[in-house]
Amino acid sequence: MNGLERILAAVRFQPTDRVPFVPQLFGYAAIAAGFRLADYLHDGQLLAECQLRSRETLGSDAVFAFTDFSIEAEALGARLEYYDAQYPDIVVPVLQPQEDAGRLAPPDPASAGRLPQVLHAVGLMRAAVGESCCVAGAITGPMTLATQLYGTETALFIAVDDPERFERALDLATATALSFGAAQLAAGAHAMVVFDPAASPAVAPADFFRTRLQPRLARLVAGLRAAGAQIVWLNVAGPTAPILSLYAEIGVDIATFDYYVDAAAAQRLLPRTCLAGNLKSLDFLLPEAAPRIGAQASALIQAFSTRGGFILSSGCEIPPESAAAAVSALAHAAGAKAGTCRS
Amino acid sequence: MVNAGPVPPASPANGFSLLIAALLAGDHAAALAETRQLRALGVPPEQIVTAGLEVAMGRLDEKCTVEQFNLLEIMLVGRAVSVVVHELYPEGIQPEKGRATFVIATLEGDVHDLGKNIVRTVLLGKGFRVVDLGRDCPVDALAAAAEREQARAVLVSGLISTVVPQVRRVRAALRARGLDHVAVVAGGAALKQLAPADLDVDYVAETAFDGARYLENLLAAEEAAA
Repeated sequence: MNGLERILAAVRFQPTDRVPFVPQLFGYAAIAAGFRLADYLHDGQLLAECQLRSRETLGSDAVFAFTDFSIEAEALGARLEYYDAQYPDIVVPVLQPQEDAGRLAPPDPASAGRLPQVLHAVGLMRAAVGESCCVAGAITGPMTLATQLYGTETALFIAVDDPERFERALDLATATALSFGAAQLAAGAHAMVVFDPAASPAVAPADFFRTRLQPRLARLVAGLRAAGAQIVWLNVAGPTAPILSLYAEIGVDIATFDYYVDAAAAQRLLPRTCLAGNLKSLDFLLPEAAPRIGAQASALIQAFSTRGGFILSSGCEIPPESAAAAVSALAHAAGAKAGTCRS
Repeated sequence: MVNAGPVPPASPANGFSLLIAALLAGDHAAALAETRQLRALGVPPEQIVTAGLEVAMGRLDEKCTVEQFNLLEIMLVGRAVSVVVHELYPEGIQPEKGRATFVIATLEGDVHDLGKNIVRTVLLGKGFRVVDLGRDCPVDALAAAAEREQARAVLVSGLISTVVPQVRRVRAALRARGLDHVAVVAGGAALKQLAPADLDVDYVAETAFDGARYLENLLAAEEAAA
């Protein structure tokens, strides 16, 4: 099996030759290859080259066109500060506290900010791997982008003090995600990952997710599928047990579960949805954690051996500055072999 | 959040119940109204802190398990607490009226200060004096503030992994100023994934309340030993 076949089989709960191995390696690919993160985030060709090199080294089953959570906000007008070895921060948000998102339209993926670089990266990666490996596009989810429009603290207060205005921010964010996602699919992505860290119950209670986010995520997933997505992956980190069961109604193919949720609970909450997780991402900073990571990965593989529908991954991004030995331990546990994903 | 609504208290006892309900509902307008009514009844600020704010924070602490802790609800309560504290102490809580002083910051390289702000509010609500150095704070500035303010502990919050090396420098910076007795507490989405030994800190808090409990226990143990 190749990487794409392996992931599609896991999504369909069919047998695989080994567990699909999809570590969440984004900026790590740049740092490991000796590049500045700021350059990686601005240059689609460099992003593609680093992702392909990382996959060749580790034998993982997917490459990611993920840059950072601020890329859509920047395309909408936010000002960012960039760094050599960490992700950018929003220093001036899109909207002032009193402003309304209803005056904004989704940015054009072909011309706004760094969005075209992502489309370029997707095209290059797809041309390189063809159907042999999963090319995963990435979009920022509605809650995360809506909170970035104002800054998180301001946005959360608006969500309570002026709910209708926050709904308009969510609607703009959903439309932006669909537009950017559809463009990545047109550029060649097989899969679309919806990263929505602010949708976590650690930020807002599960009722908030159910009433305000679930309907928009369902619309987004349906729209991405209509735009050609073979796989839609909802990636929310943190203590997601109160919302995981809702993912089935949203219609996602793959659901991330973080270290807060154990494998048995995740299986109980989403019995027919492929699960990806759940290693603790900060463990990868510690070279001495490699044996522990390997043991935990093996235990996870065992926990899903009967059920299937599992992708070995971390519960959140593996940090850019992670230790290579710790990342390799994960690949070793999956039985992945370097250089096995060329077309 | 339910709008508790300002209802005139017939007595301070009733007023405290209404204040606590307003705080827990995250209704800052009602909390402010109840505070003003209590003051009008002659209740001193210190009593409003101990019998109002601290009781409300205690109940919130009981509710906020790791599974139920969420920023939005805590922020709303925090806003209500801040409004009340500002009403009672427009120029800030002075050291002699507080229980102990803590210095709090988000360290250099991390500009995400929402979690730090939550911790500050929880500690204020429990009657502590908190010196907030803001975000992107150099480690040496944190240590200098701990010395200047005679802090019992410094608290550092981190959302992103790249701040870890800065956290590991805090202990040495304190030691260089002879502040070995100052406790170091870490928290935040990134830092709480690591053990105290990985960060060279005394405690890694799972939530803001967990951190506050650690500090209260630390002070209680010292008082018992004194």
